[in-house]
Amino acid sequence: MAKAPAKTEPSQALDQGLAVGVARLTPEKIESTIRTVLKSETGARLSTYVETCIHCGLCAEACHYYLSHDNDPHYAPVGKVKQTLWEMIKQKGRVTPEFIEKAAIIAHTECNLCKRCAQYCPFGIDIAYLMLVVRRIIHKLGCTPLYIQDTAHSHSVTMNQMWVKGDEWPDTLQWQEEEAQAEFEDLRIPLDVEGAEIMYSVIAPEPKFQAQLIYQAAAIFHAAGVSWTMPSELGWDNSDMAMFTGDNEIMGRIKRAHYDAAIRLKVKRIVMGECGHAFRSVYDVGNRWLGWEMPPIPIVHAIDFYYELLKEGRIKITKKYPTPITLHDPCNVVRGGGLHEKARYVAHTLCESVVEMTPNREHNYCCAAGGGAINCGPPYKQTRISGNRIKAEQLFAAKTRGAQVLIAPCHNCHSGLHDIVHHYGVGLDIKFFGDLIYELMEKPA
Amino acid sequence: MKGIACVAMAVLLGVGFFSVSAFSQEEMVVVDNRVFDAPQRPSSRFEHDAHNEAAEIEDCAVCHHVYDDDGVLVEDESSEDSSCSECHGIADEGRIPNLRKAYHRNCKGCHREQGAGPVLCGECHPW
Amino acid sequence: MHAVYAFVSGPLAWLAFLLFFGGICYRLVRLLWEVNRTEKFIFSYMSWKYSLRSIGRWLIPFGTANWRLHPGLTVATFTFHICLLVTPVFLLSHVVLWDEAFDVSWWTLPDGVADVMTVLVIVCCAYFLIRRLVTPEVKFVTTASDFVILAIVAAPFITGFLAYHQWFAYPVMAIAHIVSGEIMLAAIPFTRLSHMIFSPLTRAYMGSEFGKVRHARDW
Repeated sequence: MAKAPAKTEPSQALDQGLAVGVARLTPEKIESTIRTVLKSETGARLSTYVETCIHCGLCAEACHYYLSHDNDPHYAPVGKVKQTLWEMIKQKGRVTPEFIEKAAIIAHTECNLCKRCAQYCPFGIDIAYLMLVVRRIIHKLGCTPLYIQDTAHSHSVTMNQMWVKGDEWPDTLQWQEEEAQAEFEDLRIPLDVEGAEIMYSVIAPEPKFQAQLIYQAAAIFHAAGVSWTMPSELGWDNSDMAMFTGDNEIMGRIKRAHYDAAIRLKVKRIVMGECGHAFRSVYDVGNRWLGWEMPPIPIVHAIDFYYELLKEGRIKITKKYPTPITLHDPCNVVRGGGLHEKARYVAHTLCESVVEMTPNREHNYCCAAGGGAINCGPPYKQTRISGNRIKAEQLFAAKTRGAQVLIAPCHNCHSGLHDIVHHYGVGLDIKFFGDLIYELMEKPA
Repeated sequence: MKGIACVAMAVLLGVGFFSVSAFSQEEMVVVDNRVFDAPQRPSSRFEHDAHNEAAEIEDCAVCHHVYDDDGVLVEDESSEDSSCSECHGIADEGRIPNLRKAYHRNCKGCHREQGAGPVLCGECHPW
Repeated sequence: MHAVYAFVSGPLAWLAFLLFFGGICYRLVRLLWEVNRTEKFIFSYMSWKYSLRSIGRWLIPFGTANWRLHPGLTVATFTFHICLLVTPVFLLSHVVLWDEAFDVSWWTLPDGVADVMTVLVIVCCAYFLIRRLVTPEVKFVTTASDFVILAIVAAPFITGFLAYHQWFAYPVMAIAHIVSGEIMLAAIPFTRLSHMIFSPLTRAYMGSEFGKVRHARDW
């Protein structure tokens, strides 16, 4: 209706997966795919959301992309729905391959599914869900961006996100166990211990290139005397990029493998590392696909578990971290799991000074890496960075109030914030809670 | 108690007398709405004789009706000697509609039946 | 005039109320039926406690982060919706008609107050219109239907205001008022004005998800 202002496009490299996928599209395929998804995979929720939206634009300021692009309406949540789903519905699926390409980029790289907009919409319309419907259509059309599609392939083939081969996994654990035994003589990374208290699960990038995080977790559990185990076979990876590509079938398979591993080991709870999207997948999404209202086994995020260990005094801190820190609230565990107060308890227990960013808790700005955006790879790195100037400003404000270290208890946030901090020259060290606990805790001889 | 009753009687008689002389039907141009505390709308303009002439109404009972206690219209009797508010109170009383409603039904109801005369709010209650 | 009035205040009024109440029932029943058919899981996440918590919070002016972010709009939207709902229901002229037709009546607003509230609705409609035309993020997602539904809502109040004051073309304005009110009633269940019915439900669902599963506030 109204003439659209020119969109501020970030510079962007070619995405070969997307380009090839789009080249294969035919109008018939687009139309029938969109119709099928809209007709048989969505229902009252989608139609009610679309028919109830009063086009008020109040969701705009929820979105970090919108704020970072000088309030460019193309990046407002409803603006993104207009450029994707509305048009698909209005045209009854008769959209062009170019449209699909644009929709794929918008839904995958200009939205992190952080659901902040659901908090800002007076009607509580779940715009992230609408974006997921778009991603589902894109997936079925074979136009998912290359890098994230590769992780979905990896999930499908190896049941982990990073093509970690069967023997590489226990091998890595044993390697870390040996490393750690140099520091703690009787430390074990217990594999397949039936009846252990907890199963610890991580995302595949940990064994792939951040193995020291497994070392740290093992050290913490060792110091706290936790009865724990890890599965040596399928199901050890709690990550889930299929959830973000709209590949629900794969998502279901990998979540089932994960729950199955815990059930097989007869553990009481699954404790997971400092990862947000995995928490979302295991705690909120995968279980639903498999038919459980809530997860079949209690899911405890690292923040929650550290809170427990510190509160119960199972981990003792030798001294408080002297450098002032600021705390990033990851969407998936805070807006998605309510762990903000526990995160603060952990932060205040560990550190002498905690500088709050504003906004914070449920209202924190996203890292722009989550929702699979960072997994779409290098072609979209600039999209994430230019799309999150507001985060840099928020971090810089915390820095001017004294913060020198940024705690980001989520892998995606960690990596995304790393890019932002470097690009904008914010100059904050980024750490996990695990880094601090490992550094500060009383270590058994 | 007796005093109050006397005063009330005097007031009522006074009002009755005043209204009869000021609004006697020969020169009636507006409906007496003084029984309403704070009427929201101006009283409706109503020129009694001109209206009846134009509407060709000769029987007083068309408007000045009489109903018996069972709510049955009494034929051949009319009530032009009493004021409407003697029967119709501010609020509904059993079958007897309140004064406002009685007027609206009486006037507007007839106008709608006859297809003539004002039916819209502002046609009777102009500013 | 009599024939027109008889039609708009008779059959057309019945039709409007039938479409309004029938439409609301139809849309609600259809929604529940559809949810039950395709997304039954929604029922298991619904919680009265968190639904009401969320709805209640959003019904408080400036009670949510986003209301506080937009003070002008917040004042406008609350004023608009309160006046929009209260004025027609408690307007003396309307209650008089209910009383005449069905012997039911209730408390009414003084005409002067109702007049001010009507003006407020019109002013807010103008505000929404200007906002649509001027604010980029709103303009960008505005479709023709947005102007149509705004007009549908504004019309009974504009015509009602003019009819009440009888400033010009009174009988025409009065009829236009009746017809435009009927159009609005009939349109509510079948246009995006249906947010009147659905927004409490979408809010309730999001409130339930946030309260029960996410343990977070959705405001």
